[in-house]
Amino acid sequence: MSTQVANNSLGRRALQKLLRQKLTVICFVVIIIYLSIALLGALNLLPDFQARVGESYEPPSLSIAKIFGTDIFGRSVLFKLLAGTKTAISIGFLVTSIAVPIGITLGSLAGYYGGKIDGFVVWLFSVIVSVPYLLMVIAISYVLGKGMLSMCIAMGSIGWVGLCRLIRAEFLKHKEREYVLAARLLGANDYNLIFKQILPNVLHLAIITASLQVLGAIKSEVILTYLGVGVQDGSSWGSMISDATGELVNGHWWPLAGVVITMFFIIYALNVVGDALRDALDPKLVD
Amino acid sequence: MAQEVLLNVENLVVSFDTDRGKITPVNGVSFQVKRGKTLAIVGESGCGKSVTSLSIMGLIPGANGKIEGGAIEYDGQDLLKFSGTQMRKLRGDKIAMIFQEPMTALNPVYTIGNQIMEVYKLHREMSKKEAFDHALAMLEKVKIPDPKQRMREYPHQLSGGMRQRVMIAMSLACNPDVLIADEPTTALDVTIQAQVLDLMKDLQTDLGTSVIFITHDLGVVAEVADDVVVMYAGDIIERGTVFDIFKDPKHPYTQGLLDSLPKSSDTKNEELQAIKGMVPSLFDLPQGCRFKDRCALAEEACGESSPELEKFSDTHEAACFVTSRNNAA
Ligand SMILES: Nc1ncnc2c1ncn2[C@@H]1O[C@H](COP(=O)(O)OP(=O)(O)OP(=O)(O)O)[C@@H](O)[C@H]1O
Ligand code: SF4
Ligand SMILES: [Mg+2]
Repeated sequence: MSTQVANNSLGRRALQKLLRQKLTVICFVVIIIYLSIALLGALNLLPDFQARVGESYEPPSLSIAKIFGTDIFGRSVLFKLLAGTKTAISIGFLVTSIAVPIGITLGSLAGYYGGKIDGFVVWLFSVIVSVPYLLMVIAISYVLGKGMLSMCIAMGSIGWVGLCRLIRAEFLKHKEREYVLAARLLGANDYNLIFKQILPNVLHLAIITASLQVLGAIKSEVILTYLGVGVQDGSSWGSMISDATGELVNGHWWPLAGVVITMFFIIYALNVVGDALRDALDPKLVD
Repeated sequence: MAQEVLLNVENLVVSFDTDRGKITPVNGVSFQVKRGKTLAIVGESGCGKSVTSLSIMGLIPGANGKIEGGAIEYDGQDLLKFSGTQMRKLRGDKIAMIFQEPMTALNPVYTIGNQIMEVYKLHREMSKKEAFDHALAMLEKVKIPDPKQRMREYPHQLSGGMRQRVMIAMSLACNPDVLIADEPTTALDVTIQAQVLDLMKDLQTDLGTSVIFITHDLGVVAEVADDVVVMYAGDIIERGTVFDIFKDPKHPYTQGLLDSLPKSSDTKNEELQAIKGMVPSLFDLPQGCRFKDRCALAEEACGESSPELEKFSDTHEAACFVTSRNNAA
């Protein structure tokens, strides 16, 4: 309770807390590197992964293009991984930016108003979770047509459920809190109570869930593409893993190794940062 | 000089539907608040004080509450006929309320300054700069040291007493006609309590606010109130000026409350007379007078019908068969 921190906003304090841990900082940097690769990809500045750089299935050697070897067509595995990074990150963000607003809105309204609105939202997500996740995504993306966008819409239109439940439960708790009654007694309307009073108190959950959502979407993309629903042009980690089944038997291990390593770092980093965010943003834990 | 009645609560009945059945925690309550004066509502926990005040604020019905009957007139208008929006505009502007928990009544994610400014945003058209200046002025009014600095601080950086001062600043920001203070000092240390009470008295004199002061502590009542109503299990059992109640309490319950007050004159630890027994459960109220199971004067007649308030003087009323009879004799 010292007054030294008086000028610090909650956000700045959370950031300071985050940066206190070395591992978190490293993982933060890893995420930023992946984000930059994705950004370069979006700007068309990544090397063309379709171009031949050598013979078919050259093992890894000490040149940049061939550091992870080449694939069946003599294309650079590294360049494919980079393109896959762009795909994965785009999917993560697209799915999250569909799921998070839906989850926040429905969760807030259901928890705050209760009654019929709550009944409807609970019914809606009960229906969604009663069908296995992958089946549901596959079904929706078949309806919308194959490809990355429809896969993202499919994942996003299901992915809000977890966050919605969380936010709803928090709203149920928070609407009984004294600070909400106090605001009501001062004349706050529903909009003010929902979005200005309660939501900022539970938003940390949305940020944490969003970081895990990116992670989940990346993993799901791999599985979906492996199952033949997702990205078809080979520029995704999923399609590379899918190709690897045949390659491994013939001793061509490097494309798979490349994907596993690339995926490992981003998944690990997202996990660590997600956990750190949880600790740093929880208002209850702010010292 | 006739004193103007600003808020008139007439025969208010509030009920709740609960899992265990219907209860009526406010069972025909009437009182008047005069302009610029303080009315104290006294009674043990659960007697319906908070439900009464939330009714005035228009926050009943909640999920399961219902106002069954009566009227709440503010400045000549019946608030029970107001729409939700009309009531919301009144809250925090014309009628404000603070309550017991200063530790948790402020929003943890906003600075003190922002929270006071928000009140102006809700009720007044003003620029950010103006709202800031007004908020700062309010913090000065509630005598918070170093107000400029405090504007930028978060609730967790303030002590309980300071937070209650902030709550007072917020509730008085729009200069309301009526302030309902529901046990505003109960959660505070004794010394802080006294400071906050003094502050409230000063502000009231300053701003001319009418106050409904809710407490279970008669000691506080003596300091702040002009008029007093005593509630027991949803009923008003005695009402009068603060002088009536302290000099000549009529109802055995009021007498019991007064006897349980420590008197500053006795230095020896003379045993305080707490009223024996417990408040009856609202689910299982006794027949007749609700106080009869704890009353030393109870007679058979007390179990047969409920006593009504009877006048002992222009200002003083109590609801007790035995007292009325003794008085008549
Ligand atoms: N929402 C509700 N649903 C059901 N019962 C309620 C509700 N609110 C209050 N009550 C009941 O109404 C009765 C009166 O409550 P109230 O809060 O008015 O008491 P109080 O006089 O303010 O007591 P305290 O001194 O403890 O604050 C209590 O028995 C309480 O359990
Ligand atoms: S009416 Fe009877 S029981 Fe009730 S307070 Fe008077 S004497 Fe006691
Ligand atoms: Mg109460």
